[in-house]
Amino acid sequence: MITVNNLSKSYNGVQVLHLENLDIPKGQSFGLVGNNGAGKTTFFSLLLDLIQPTTGHIKSKDILVNESEAWKPFTSSFIDESFLIGYLTAEEYFYFIGELRNQNKSDVDALLAQFEDFFHDEILGKKKYLRDLSKGNQKKAGIVAALIGNPEVIILDEPFANLDPTTQIRLKQIIKHLAEKKGVTVLVSSHDLLHVTDVCERIVVLEKGEIVKDLQTSEATLKELEAHFTN
Amino acid sequence: MIKHFLSLEWKQFKRASYFQKGLAIKILLFLAVLYFGGIAIFMGGVMFFGLEKAFPSIDPIVMVNNYLIYWILFELMIRYFMQQLPVMNIKPLMIIPITRNSVIHYLLGKTILSFFNFISLLIFLPFSIVLLFQGYPVMNVVLWFFAIMSINLSINFLNFLINKSNTVFYVIASVVIVIITLRYFNIFDITEPAGILFNGLYNQPYLALIPFLIMIGLYKVNFDFIRRGFYLDGAISKKTKEVRATDLSWMDRFGNLAPFLKNDIKMITRNARPKQVVMMSFFFLFYGLFFFTQSMYIEKMPYILAFAAMFITGGFLLSFGQLVPSWDSEYYKMLMSQNIPYRQYLESKWYLMVVAVAVSFILSTPYIYFGWDIYLMIAAGALFNIGLNTFITLFGGALNRVPIELNTKAKAFSNTNGFNPTQLLIALPKMLLPILIFFIPYQFISFNAGLIALALTGALGIVFKNFFLNKIENIYQKGKYKTVAAFSEKK
Repeated sequence: MITVNNLSKSYNGVQVLHLENLDIPKGQSFGLVGNNGAGKTTFFSLLLDLIQPTTGHIKSKDILVNESEAWKPFTSSFIDESFLIGYLTAEEYFYFIGELRNQNKSDVDALLAQFEDFFHDEILGKKKYLRDLSKGNQKKAGIVAALIGNPEVIILDEPFANLDPTTQIRLKQIIKHLAEKKGVTVLVSSHDLLHVTDVCERIVVLEKGEIVKDLQTSEATLKELEAHFTN
Repeated sequence: MIKHFLSLEWKQFKRASYFQKGLAIKILLFLAVLYFGGIAIFMGGVMFFGLEKAFPSIDPIVMVNNYLIYWILFELMIRYFMQQLPVMNIKPLMIIPITRNSVIHYLLGKTILSFFNFISLLIFLPFSIVLLFQGYPVMNVVLWFFAIMSINLSINFLNFLINKSNTVFYVIASVVIVIITLRYFNIFDITEPAGILFNGLYNQPYLALIPFLIMIGLYKVNFDFIRRGFYLDGAISKKTKEVRATDLSWMDRFGNLAPFLKNDIKMITRNARPKQVVMMSFFFLFYGLFFFTQSMYIEKMPYILAFAAMFITGGFLLSFGQLVPSWDSEYYKMLMSQNIPYRQYLESKWYLMVVAVAVSFILSTPYIYFGWDIYLMIAAGALFNIGLNTFITLFGGALNRVPIELNTKAKAFSNTNGFNPTQLLIALPKMLLPILIFFIPYQFISFNAGLIALALTGALGIVFKNFFLNKIENIYQKGKYKTVAAFSEKK
């Protein structure tokens, strides 16, 4: 689904990301971990063509993301709050995204209905603008908006941060379901090792922009990760 | 304590993003401040002699007092729309051992240094000095000046309350409307009693105590207001307004563009900054009055009228349009990674401007009063706006990479949100082109030829719409990464 080739990004001559080769097959739930500054968000921004690669390229479904816009219809993402339109209510935002992805109101409503427990009655029908919601609730709205329109690739940057325990558990189920049942390629980054090992089939550890570990998740993975980050 | 506040304030000023902008902007801002300050001082200085000359039978000070009320109302209005409330970042101070009172005193005291307070000062100080030199009684003049300054500061504090409380706003707004209506229908003229009042202030200098006490009173009200609300969920929290649902489904007929257009309408109606800009663009409608009332322009230099005609229908285009795509800066990353072709995004902005020009054109119908020639000129100007200025504006937007905070009002001079020298350069052809296009055929053929040339240029622009949009899209595409990076910079 996604192939990375000799990808690097430098700012003023300082390399912040360098990925020689990375293949993410369709339907994989892919986890990215690493300390601050490891290059997680940089990688996601490159995937979304928000920054320009210094060398190399990313192909998503054989489309060069930095040259064509054809990856947009099947890719969706939530990186941070700047993906929300602050002056809209949650519903208006969902319908707006729906319209962009050729989903009519009832399609969107049907999708939202599945996430009633995820929203915990704090998002819909609140008559509040998104900018007035709490951080956690904003995140919930952003994540669900990223699921609208049957995307084939979903990119979520630290989706577990700021969420309450109930929603964290529910989000894990949602991500697993997407990857296993629907064949969606889900890319997630997190600082919570327990969550990623729970959710992702494969975990890549970044350090100073380079891949230092590439693990298929197993019983031993959590221990290994903890050991890695202890030194 | 004050020392700490001042040092915080100084750091905030020095490190603010607008201060770290290019040298060119700093110089421009400095010149603008000098210019307006200079005008104010000049006006204050010559006001006395001007009035003396124009109304030899009336004492200038009486004249000034008679019409002072309008100045006050004007100032109130300008401040309501323009003056940004002083928000010191109180939150971090709440848990630090500083008494609340001193924080509040400081916060209110800071508002005294607002630019708006200096307008009055710069006008009335030279005026009073001239009065003194003209031999008016020192006591009266000095205390009158003192009274005016008290009133000035009263307005300052009143504005604070108006902004914070809807009740105060509605009360003041209805009083102002009643005053103006009564005056308009010649039922009651506020000028007279107000004149008596202000002349009283001058003639009985000790009365200056009254405005001073009013000022103190308003200060106290403000103080109590903030004191009561000095909690996270109180006065310092941003007001969260309940959403008023608006049904915009009728716009669905615009097809692919509908979601963007609907979104733009919501953006304009729900955020302080765009609302302010749209209000301003409404005033452009009256721009023609400066020109069409002067026979000099009509007879000798009608090409200047082409400029005015362009301005009348181009208010929205000039003020709102030049800040595309900054309006979407807060969520630009999302737009760029969503399923949106750039082309559609640009086209929706184009339609928005076209609709705005059309609406302004309809609103400009009363200009028929000045004759059909004028009205046709406005029509030609509108066509030029739609056909060419929209594209120039969008082109200029591609070079505009200054993010905008949607829900904060623009501050006079201290906020260069979305302002840069390239904008000025881009604005030049928008204003000069219509003059040129009208002038050449007018000079060599006739007035009507000028009109036709202007209208034809606009029509041609519409015909080549796709060509222009394609070109502009390419420029936007090329600048995409820079724009994304600039918009996501923290302010």
